[in-house]
Amino acid sequence: MKKRTSILGGAAAIAATFVVFVVPFIFIILMTFKDRQQSALRDFSWPTGFHLWDNVVEVVKTRNWMMITAFINSSIITVVSVTLLVIFAAMVGYVLARRKTRWNGLIEFLILAGLMVPPAVVPTIWLLQGLTLFGTLHGMILIEVAYNLPFSIILYRAFVATIPRDLDEAAIIDGARPLDVFFRVVLPLLWPVTVTNIVVQSVGIFNDFTNPLYYLPGNANATVQLTLYNFQSQFSTAYNLLFTNILLITIPPLLVFMFFNRQIVAGMTAGAVKG
Amino acid sequence: MAGLELKQLRKSYGKVEVIKGVDLSIEHGEFVVFVGPSGCGKSTLLRMIAGLEDITGGELVIGDRVVNAVEPRDRGIAMVFQSYALYPHMTVYDNVGFGLKLARTPKDVRDQKIREAARILQMEHLLDRKPSQLSGGQRQRVAIGRAIVRQPEVFLFDEPLSNLDAALRVDMRMEISKLHNALDATMIYVTHDQVEAMTLADKIVVLDGGVVQQVGAPIDLYQRPANLFVAGFIGSPKMNFVEVSADKVSGDTVHVSGPDVVGVPVAMPAGQVRPGDKLTLGVRPHDLVVAPSGAIVGRVGLVERLGNETIVNLELPSGASWLAVLDGDQALKRGESLALDVDPAKALLFDANGQGLTTA
Repeated sequence: MKKRTSILGGAAAIAATFVVFVVPFIFIILMTFKDRQQSALRDFSWPTGFHLWDNVVEVVKTRNWMMITAFINSSIITVVSVTLLVIFAAMVGYVLARRKTRWNGLIEFLILAGLMVPPAVVPTIWLLQGLTLFGTLHGMILIEVAYNLPFSIILYRAFVATIPRDLDEAAIIDGARPLDVFFRVVLPLLWPVTVTNIVVQSVGIFNDFTNPLYYLPGNANATVQLTLYNFQSQFSTAYNLLFTNILLITIPPLLVFMFFNRQIVAGMTAGAVKG
Repeated sequence: MAGLELKQLRKSYGKVEVIKGVDLSIEHGEFVVFVGPSGCGKSTLLRMIAGLEDITGGELVIGDRVVNAVEPRDRGIAMVFQSYALYPHMTVYDNVGFGLKLARTPKDVRDQKIREAARILQMEHLLDRKPSQLSGGQRQRVAIGRAIVRQPEVFLFDEPLSNLDAALRVDMRMEISKLHNALDATMIYVTHDQVEAMTLADKIVVLDGGVVQQVGAPIDLYQRPANLFVAGFIGSPKMNFVEVSADKVSGDTVHVSGPDVVGVPVAMPAGQVRPGDKLTLGVRPHDLVVAPSGAIVGRVGLVERLGNETIVNLELPSGASWLAVLDGDQALKRGESLALDVDPAKALLFDANGQGLTTA
């Protein structure tokens, strides 16, 4: 009796998950195979023809190959932002966890404030214009780093505490300068959190829609999420192309996730100290 | 070729002073052991020598340089940590070679030095492994190897054997001793294990409360402790103490009596004690012998018969408890009365301030 209910419960959970996560994905894939007329019906029907390739070509070629520019821009923003985030957040987390000063309370408050206080768009644009960074890729990168830094720091700080301080000291005795201690000993041991950070932040930044919309205007600066607007307007929307676009820009985050998912490394510090 | 000189070395954390002016000189090639109870400052002192703790006051001289403000890497020291502190993401080869890599030693020289260290420690077969694949004793070897390749003037050991099991500890103790002979380097070793201290040291430094209590060769500390603390700390089981006063002084013998003992003779050069002085008598459990007419009489408590010796817990009339380690197997019953005697040359006396008096 008990067994039967648990099987039923499991089946219900699987069915619910399927409806919530898989059905929309199947819908996207089906839409990419349809032509414009059929896709306009927006129903869950089998495609009447095979239009995937035509759709892909059209999406990529639209507005003078904007998709390619967008992919390049998004990749640059994502890779550089995540690299900077990892290095800076690990550094801040390391120092916060290791060095106790009377400023720690204030610094922690500022980090929490960074998480809680919503960014104000207009003053930020005004500031970026003052710094002549508005509408540039590096300005966008700085924005992404600033917005996501608090979260990354909190992830790192908790983990640094689990790395024995003896390792730092052993490295210092071995002749390591502070940057050597950080880059050669501490950062490699932070790899499990770094993986988490890379996955979470790169997916977040790659999929960011609003921030590039505010801070990165101009066709040459388009990011992948903004290309969605190419096929969606008030009066006409090409649903087959829109969904092909969605499919194309979903692929990179999916790859990142699948690649790093295997790298979840447990117990990197095993063997460092006694036990 | 480097000795060390500690001149009035001090360390405070805020208002709390943990090292209260340590003066010590260590010759080149000496094996010095710091011992003391937990929290006595022995590890702090070692870390000050290593450069991991700032020096609040005084001077630290290594070789002929004052190194108070010198970075650890330039002090010519290497340290072995209690927790081994191996870099878990590197192989044994890289762990041992890390310091050389940081010093930008050419690759061939580096390789040669790593293999030489591995040969000395007999761990050539471990070089490709990660620390997590090693046993405790092997990790300890790697940690020592990491110190050896740096070819330091001074080796610092912070309780290196306390995480090993008893049998391995004996082996590693001998290895460290051999290493000391082979490398002809100065070694400073912190431990709370008396056996390690007694067997390894050329010179023992007993610390308590951040103050050096006594410095000397192991046997001197055992036979002629400077004060009550050293007397109680060195030697196992602990020395027995009893409050006494001097009865009569005749030539080089002092007779002392107290609530628990009557007329115990202690050999001692004349002139140090006058009749009536308040003293403390110290007798090591191993120096007590059964004698029907003995001066120390008590009731037998717990008896531990080990075959080669018998450890007796003796309850004295005042309620004080003494330990006696008697030779051979003694069939003693709980509650029975036992009289013990002590060789006058082996009994120790301490004055009212707890300072040891020169005995014969």
